Amino acid sequence: MKKWICVICGHIYDEAAGDPGGGVAPGTRFEDVPEDWVCPECGSPKSAFEEYTG
Amino acid sequence: MTAPVANPIGRAEINGLIFNPYSKDFIRNPDPVWQRLMKDFPIAWHKDLQMWLVSSHELCDKVLKDNRFSPNFRVWELAPPPKAEADKNDFDFAFEKGFFAVTPKEHLRLRKLTMPAFSKPVMGKIDGKIRDLVEDCFNAIGDAEEFDVYETLANKIPVRSIARMIGVDTNMEEFFHEFAVSVIKSTRINLGVKERDAAMQGTLPGFKYFREQIAARRALPHPGDDFLGSLVGATDNGEKLDDYEILSVVFALITAGSDTATDLHTFLIHGLLKNPDQYELLKQKPELMENAIIELLRYGSFGKMPFFRFATEDIEFAGQHIKKGQAIGVNIQSAWHDPAKWENPNTLDITRRLDGNIVFGAGAHFCIGTYLVRVQGMLMLKEFMKRYPHAELADGDGRIDYEYTHHNARRINKLIVKTNAKTARKAA
Repeated sequence: MKKWICVICGHIYDEAAGDPGGGVAPGTRFEDVPEDWVCPECGSPKSAFEEYTG
Repeated sequence: MTAPVANPIGRAEINGLIFNPYSKDFIRNPDPVWQRLMKDFPIAWHKDLQMWLVSSHELCDKVLKDNRFSPNFRVWELAPPPKAEADKNDFDFAFEKGFFAVTPKEHLRLRKLTMPAFSKPVMGKIDGKIRDLVEDCFNAIGDAEEFDVYETLANKIPVRSIARMIGVDTNMEEFFHEFAVSVIKSTRINLGVKERDAAMQGTLPGFKYFREQIAARRALPHPGDDFLGSLVGATDNGEKLDDYEILSVVFALITAGSDTATDLHTFLIHGLLKNPDQYELLKQKPELMENAIIELLRYGSFGKMPFFRFATEDIEFAGQHIKKGQAIGVNIQSAWHDPAKWENPNTLDITRRLDGNIVFGAGAHFCIGTYLVRVQGMLMLKEFMKRYPHAELADGDGRIDYEYTHHNARRINKLIVKTNAKTARKAA
């Protein structure tokens, strides 16, 4: 399971945790997150995320 | 209900009688004005401020997420003409390279390069760097029965924290403070041209200082792992930040984390002590701290001037025709109290679910200092709760006063806390 970071606000999307509040179930790979999903912290689009290795 | 005043072309219009951010009554008690704006004028042209004012949560959120509304004041129809290249100074070059001036594509590149320096994991480490500064401020209060939150904490912690973070020597704090205030004033379109120009000139010694610091870091074999070092060393596909891009980040850090954070501290303490049940709850459940800080910011809503955006094209928006170049005031302070978004908006509830809040803005220009604000607020509040668990506002209202002429905020410049520390010790 990978983690992804929003380059606008630093919010981390953890594939293991998903984003239940945004309708994304735990265990959802980032590639499978719907294209219209937005960062729960700042509202930026999915394209603002990069893989997080920190 | 008062109907919006319609001009011959059907534009909803208001004036300073309806919204005057400098009015003392408004500064002391803004909510009635906000509620009226949201109910009767969720969007209207402000004839005195010469800008659109957008006040509801829904519309503010939309404007912030719509890139046709740019924060670049060069787009503004009333912006002064651009300077000739030969006349430009460090301020101009840093501004042109900054988050508020570049194209959306360039902005994304800048955010990618600078994000590591501002991200939550990095900001978590800042905790250790500024903890002693916070403790020092509390140590200076000592055993006092009363103290002024503004003088002892709010006026000291933010600017010292930013200075520490950027690596400014302690003995240069006053110099840095002047620089910070000048940077902020230089960006306020509500100030007159002369005042803005004077502020811009006031930034130049600070920019010179930081250019020297950057040059020194570039000369080292490794620029360092601190904030400035991480910016100097940042790379994305082989690209690096140039000097003015780094200066523009310092610029952003100051505007996000210095002057604004002054109000953070006063409003955090004011909000909690005005609602003793919530203060008690936070003491019992410190795990609510981060949520409490965001809720306290929402509840206190300390800004008085809106965020500025400028239309990059003619835009039909919420039934109004916004012309290219016009300014839009995004009145997020009122949006934080919008009853359509928040149940009982004037109630402080540190357990409130804050999904979809725009306390730190939204969209591409989401507050870059958001985690720094949280770290700073948490450090201060934890120390406050530890030292003064029985604190209350002196005389019931903290003998509160405001700096009515502040350029941006409903700044509390006096808030007296009664510590009850000695009484509690005697009782124990």
